[in-house]
Amino acid sequence: MKRVTSLLRRSAIPILSVVTGLLFGAVVIALTDFDSLSLITTDPARALFWVETIDGNTVFSGAIGGVVNAYGALLAGAFGDPGRIVTAFQTGNPTDIARAIRPITETLVSTMPLIFTGLGVAISFRAGMFNIGGGGQLMLGALGATITAIALAGKVPAPVILVVAIGASALAGGFWGLIPGFLKARTGAHEVITTIMLNLIGSLVVFFALRNEFLRKAGGTAPVSKNLTPIVDVPNIIDLPGLRLDYGFVVALLMAVAVSWLLFRTTKGFELRAAGFNLTAARYAGMSAGGSMMVAMTLSGALAGLGGGFMVIGTVGQLTPDLSGNIGFTAIALALLAGLRPSGVVIAALLFGALTQGGKLMGVQSGIPFELLSFIMALVIMFVAAPDLVRGMWRIKTKVPKETDPTPASKAATPV
Amino acid sequence: MRLELRDITKQFPGVLANDKISISADRGKVLGLLGENGAGKTTLMNILSGLYKPDSGQIFIDGEERVFGDPVAAIQAGVGMVHQHFMLVPVFDVVEAVALGAETVTGPLGTFDRAAARKRIVELSEQYKLDVEPDAKIENLPVGVRQRVEILKALYRQSDILVLDEPSAVLTPYETEELFAIIRMLAATGTTVIFITHKLNEVLEVADDIVVLRRGRVAGMADPKTATRQQLANLMVGRDVELIVPKGPAKPGDLVLHVENLQVRDDRLEMAVKGVDLDVRAGEIVVIAGVQGNGQTELVEALTGLRPVDSGEISIGGQRTEKFNPRHVSDLGVAHIPEDRGRDGLINEMTIAENYILDSYHKAPYSKNGIFNLKAVREQAAKGVKDFDIRTPSIDTFAGSLSGGNQQKVVVAREFSVPVQLVIAAQPTRGLDVGSIEYIHRRLIEQRDAGAAILIVSTELDEVLAVGDRIAVMFDGKIVGILAGDDATYENLGLLMGGASFGGGVAA
Amino acid sequence: MTATSVAAPLAGTGLAARRALRAARIRGIAFVLLSLAALYFASGSFDTPAKFSAWIHEQGGEAAVLETRVGVLWIVAAGASAVIAILQFIRGATFPWRRWLLVVLAPWIVALLADLLAGKPAILTNVIAGSFEQATPIAMAAMAGILSERSGMFNIALEGKMLIGAFTAAVASSLVFIATGNPLLATLVGIAMAMVVGGLTGLLLAWLGIRHRVNQIIAGTVINIGALGITSFIFLRVLQHNTQYNAPPSVKPFSLPFLSDLPVIGPILFSAKPYVYVGYILVIVLTYMIYRTRWGLRLRASGEKPAAAGTVGINVLRIRYRALILAGLISGLAGSYLSLAAGGSFQMDMTAGKGYIGLAAVIFGSWHPIGAFLAALVFGFADTTQSLLNVLGVGVAPQILASVPYVVTIVVVAGVVGRVRGPAAAGQPYEQG
Repeated sequence: MKRVTSLLRRSAIPILSVVTGLLFGAVVIALTDFDSLSLITTDPARALFWVETIDGNTVFSGAIGGVVNAYGALLAGAFGDPGRIVTAFQTGNPTDIARAIRPITETLVSTMPLIFTGLGVAISFRAGMFNIGGGGQLMLGALGATITAIALAGKVPAPVILVVAIGASALAGGFWGLIPGFLKARTGAHEVITTIMLNLIGSLVVFFALRNEFLRKAGGTAPVSKNLTPIVDVPNIIDLPGLRLDYGFVVALLMAVAVSWLLFRTTKGFELRAAGFNLTAARYAGMSAGGSMMVAMTLSGALAGLGGGFMVIGTVGQLTPDLSGNIGFTAIALALLAGLRPSGVVIAALLFGALTQGGKLMGVQSGIPFELLSFIMALVIMFVAAPDLVRGMWRIKTKVPKETDPTPASKAATPV
Repeated sequence: MRLELRDITKQFPGVLANDKISISADRGKVLGLLGENGAGKTTLMNILSGLYKPDSGQIFIDGEERVFGDPVAAIQAGVGMVHQHFMLVPVFDVVEAVALGAETVTGPLGTFDRAAARKRIVELSEQYKLDVEPDAKIENLPVGVRQRVEILKALYRQSDILVLDEPSAVLTPYETEELFAIIRMLAATGTTVIFITHKLNEVLEVADDIVVLRRGRVAGMADPKTATRQQLANLMVGRDVELIVPKGPAKPGDLVLHVENLQVRDDRLEMAVKGVDLDVRAGEIVVIAGVQGNGQTELVEALTGLRPVDSGEISIGGQRTEKFNPRHVSDLGVAHIPEDRGRDGLINEMTIAENYILDSYHKAPYSKNGIFNLKAVREQAAKGVKDFDIRTPSIDTFAGSLSGGNQQKVVVAREFSVPVQLVIAAQPTRGLDVGSIEYIHRRLIEQRDAGAAILIVSTELDEVLAVGDRIAVMFDGKIVGILAGDDATYENLGLLMGGASFGGGVAA
Repeated sequence: MTATSVAAPLAGTGLAARRALRAARIRGIAFVLLSLAALYFASGSFDTPAKFSAWIHEQGGEAAVLETRVGVLWIVAAGASAVIAILQFIRGATFPWRRWLLVVLAPWIVALLADLLAGKPAILTNVIAGSFEQATPIAMAAMAGILSERSGMFNIALEGKMLIGAFTAAVASSLVFIATGNPLLATLVGIAMAMVVGGLTGLLLAWLGIRHRVNQIIAGTVINIGALGITSFIFLRVLQHNTQYNAPPSVKPFSLPFLSDLPVIGPILFSAKPYVYVGYILVIVLTYMIYRTRWGLRLRASGEKPAAAGTVGINVLRIRYRALILAGLISGLAGSYLSLAAGGSFQMDMTAGKGYIGLAAVIFGSWHPIGAFLAALVFGFADTTQSLLNVLGVGVAPQILASVPYVVTIVVVAGVVGRVRGPAAAGQPYEQG
């Protein structure tokens, strides 16, 4: 019981942060609905909220109605229609079942790279390194897997390609993470600047690589790679038509366990956490400060790279320059939301995976641009980082426990 | 001006820092405020300088009640404060540092009238014989001069009441004498001086009246003409204290630490240790005495592998170690008690158990092949807490929430949890109360008697004289003299610390 | 007042010394390598002519021409690099190499440019004037960065504030233009609104960092992501279908009387868009304000040692609030350049890293306005060269050229630490009693 209440108390702020973020998003949706709002003087009801039944369907309109539509589409996009799922299972028709549960599996598909990248961010933040470069590391990992898969195609059996390509993605992502770690350790170059620059360079590298005939999809100049699915494909969890949820998701969950074990049960994890809290004390205790930085950044990059690898040879099946989307920044948001705990990362990634997946349907159905999610995400980070804002807004009076900052990186601030 | 504080009370979470303190000082007098660490001296002075607001109590200046809401009000009322840690911007020059906050400006853009400020600073410097070069950069000035710049800051603001918080902590005995001369001159011209210290000799020498604080209260008053050191010490601590820790004679054995012609650079890459020779044998305590900033920090960091050695030789237990990293040095059985335990010795955000294994986590029984044995960690940490009498609710308490004395015990417990052949302790008792100081000294002597070689760096002459079997005095990066503990006195140490070299003061 | 900081100094005991010594050695070797590389390039390029020209009075008029061989330029670069290498090895870690870097950089850039052009003539007037144009938003962002960091606050939010500024300027200017038809008024209102919104964003950053003690890097990230999200959202939801709201009158070049008549220099420096002149003025005024006025003295004290300022009664937090608001105003101005002067309309993510490069210019210029301006000029030059080579069809992949500023930034950030110090207290929260 005590554990439950402490868990509740711990998750109160994150949950309210997300709720508040979504509320602000709703306000933005409503305020930018100029067509409806222009009616405010003539027909306030139609301007704000109006329900009518057209052809037996309930239709909402008005600025607030638009919010209902948008968030309704978001929910449906993320979780599907429960009634339809029940019916589909009752009929037992595989195609119907696949269609009904597809939103949920797609949510998990979106969640997979978020878990990998979020774990990476959590490790680096724990070690006191502000790794903003998850996006670039993911792209490099995806590139590594793509090159390996295409190079080995037809030369070795598919399972071997699978393993090698995944290894290559971890190596490439890890290398992209090692660069800022190395520069910080050796020269003191601030990782925030270097990782931002490496993000920008990373996408240029991918563009550059996709100029090459070897990688590029035949018949066209669009910078997209050949389709990798015929070469290698991570096995699917549910063998139904149209579903692409694969064992990459399971690997992501296993990685969360592994990262948790690494951080709290091994000496390497101890070194990383010590360096994150207090670098000088770690050095005095005989730990290698530079070593911890490089290990943390390499692991962080490797995890993000794995996310990219599993995308190109699994769920997405192709390398495109916009593969990472805003996964890099989402990962920061969810890692902070999770208090840098691996278990929390999984939960937060599920939430953001649902938002991402739902956001796509929202864009299609109600015309609300997907980019709204970036704004909501920024608000979520803000509220998690400034909990008194949320407490104030929701009038929570909690006895503030002794501040234990879960973000060691916040203490290792040096001039940028 | 006459200053009077009446019934000042200030409560911090968990601590009653000032409990109805009343003191007064007359115009032109020097009031010595004596107390050990944590007695509430600094809190009281922060109230007087407007940085804290008292919970209750009044401040009177020349009989008129004043309320200081912020530092500006205190400055305007004529209170000038010289903080223990200098409040000077390192990259400023003297003119900028002194004028900051009291600048005169010209022109529409608020241009700083540097010429006027400079002129006034030169005048004041000459009038009070402070001998400060107005265009020098603060970070290039010796600490003694920086302190005079702090005094200039107060004079520049026409302060009639000057508060000095532990002003001698960073000064050589000679510089301290100079400071006292300045204080006397200021008093003679009508300034009221409040002199805060924990050093008995200094209040006896410079104060006209002495007030002793203990645990936030006035423990008593004394007249420097009649009071003795022992009386003041007893008042300060609240019980009879032995000023000397009981300790038998040293039985020096094998050579453990050998340092030859060692040269080390500081962070600005200037030579900080300029050719040090030093030997420490098993079963003896060698204390490096000296004023802060004469290369002791860099020496210790070089010995423990934290700082690269420029040239020279270090051997520990017969092994050359100048290229070793901290882990290698520690693995030789070297315990290191760092100077700033809050920053360097402990990780405040980690638990006591985690801090207890901070430098031996990679060894059995705590871990094997990189994987922790959490049971062993907890057992050993619990044992350490018990053996070293660390007052804590549990081993899962964060180290940052412990008191200074208990934090230092965690460090000492950790360092002594494995067999050691050499102990390097830098300022091991800084900021601790008398009880904790005694405890730490006893543990160090215990280690000596068990056959370890002990090297202590200290700036406190009382500590140097209390525990040192041999005393090496460091000045300007060199060892300027080595004395047997029995031969050392305040006087000859003081001379050496100021840079005077003895003819016979060569390395033993 | 309680303890001001719990930061773990990364350049902690001993580390700094170790790094500085190593960095000095690496720099020495780097200069040697530069010299050898220049010699190698020289060996193959004595036959290639190098031709640079500059307009004397106006575009297309009389031109001053410099003609030589590419190999000669390389020899000069090799010589300069060698001299610096020798100086670096002799003086070690205390060598003020940054001051000497220009001596190496200038001939190298000229030689490299000539080499890439492979005999094609280049008009320096356009290259240099273009560099100033490109440098302007970066330099303005850098001025904003200097202000905030000098007061003790990190500002990685420059990017986001510029983006919001660009957006606001485009929309406000378009609306005023629709309403009044007056392009000058539209532009001025657009700029003013961009500055106001930028200032408010700066206030938000300060409020999060100071009042709510949010880590300043996280607060900056919030603003960067949020700015990208909200501007893209409104762009897609509103502006895309109502292009009239995103069609501001564009800012045209303006020749300064008298000054633009100066031979050679006039066409380069004084026939530009007014933003460039505002940039010059900003740099000069800020330099004076920071180093000569009471405000500057207190600003620097807040960033270097806030406790020293606090104990003499200076309100450090107020200084930081004001500095961040002012920085926001300038970032907004910098952003408005992108949509009003450079692009002609607002586009999603149109800052494309310029704010971050501005931050790099702050470091490269060691937190001094003039230094940062020169650094911005180097980045602007890289940009201009890139488009020049593109136009001339020089066979280098555009991605490689595009990545040059980013790579240079990394090299700069990695190379300068050691001898250059930023404000000591930047990024540390300060508690006022």
